[in-house]
Amino acid sequence: MTRHRISLEEFHRMVEAGVFPEDLRLELVEGELVEMSPIGPKHAFVVRRLTALLAPLVQLGKALLSVQNPLVVGGSELYPDLVLLPPQGDSPHRHPLGQEVLLLVEVAEASLDYDLNVKTPLYAQAGVPEVWVVDLAHRRVHVFRNPRGGGYQERHTLEGGELEILGLKVPVREVLP
Amino acid sequence: MTRHRISLEEFHRMVEAGVFPEDLRLELVEGELLEMSPLGKRHAAKVARLTALFSPLVPHKAILFVQSPLGVGDSVLHPDLALLRPRADFYEDHLPQGHEAFLVVEVAEASLPYDLGVKVPLYAKAGIPEAWVVDLVGGRVLVHREPGEGGYMEVRALGPGETLAFMGVGIPAEELL
Repeated sequence: MTRHRISLEEFHRMVEAGVFPEDLRLELVEGELVEMSPIGPKHAFVVRRLTALLAPLVQLGKALLSVQNPLVVGGSELYPDLVLLPPQGDSPHRHPLGQEVLLLVEVAEASLDYDLNVKTPLYAQAGVPEVWVVDLAHRRVHVFRNPRGGGYQERHTLEGGELEILGLKVPVREVLP
Repeated sequence: MTRHRISLEEFHRMVEAGVFPEDLRLELVEGELLEMSPLGKRHAAKVARLTALFSPLVPHKAILFVQSPLGVGDSVLHPDLALLRPRADFYEDHLPQGHEAFLVVEVAEASLPYDLGVKVPLYAKAGIPEAWVVDLVGGRVLVHREPGEGGYMEVRALGPGETLAFMGVGIPAEELL
């Protein structure tokens, strides 16, 4: 028997028709409905910090900041912890696409393996130019650049020093609690 | 990550909202959407023959559902044939449930392991008193009786020369093989 891969169009019709309970947050990952785990305090804290650290880019008109909102990534619809989008071209009628993103950040606590091995390849396939995966357990940040095919050509792991995006420097120590 | 198990209510809302293309036939099997494979001509002919053999029972003794949805616990299956308790409205007001079925028949070509391993146990759990699996490859009909939580207690294999009987209808096994 063949498992049905739910398409993006079917998923959107489900959401519009109010098929699911309101408190259920679902991602569509390669045709499957995946329940999002509740976010722990440490994870939430880091997302707030990152929001504050990246906010100057919004003030300078260099980017829009979108936190835990839907992003269309190929045939999947995911909720990355944080994305920076270009200041122009935002739309109330559709979700942003992976290839439009300037930077995508995932904060990983229990989900590290899933973020690195399932989500990051999807981001690469969709052409997200840069991904940061904040690994809370090991206190480091994985930086992925240059998407090609199913992976990133460039990968660095930072335990200290500075991250940089759109000319803004972000000290790793300020990101991690 | 937790795969979302689609509930019966969610599945009904999806179908009512027209989420899926009309030509896509889906079963809900324990929270998962499964696509039904196209039928071969031999399989279709056996279903047509069974339909003809059981049609004298309709509508006073039973209602015949052919490849139509049947609620089986939290799943919605499309058995090849189901004999249901008679109802004046032919089940227009609700999806027939397992406890309203007298007999289900599955014709199995490639699907034998799935029919025996997944569907028949669900029919047993739902208390459907009798389930036949026509094994076209093995040349036998497996008759299951005495449903329980763990499956059917009685399984008999009938081959050529033997006769199946249900509600006064006698069917020589070779007609189905």
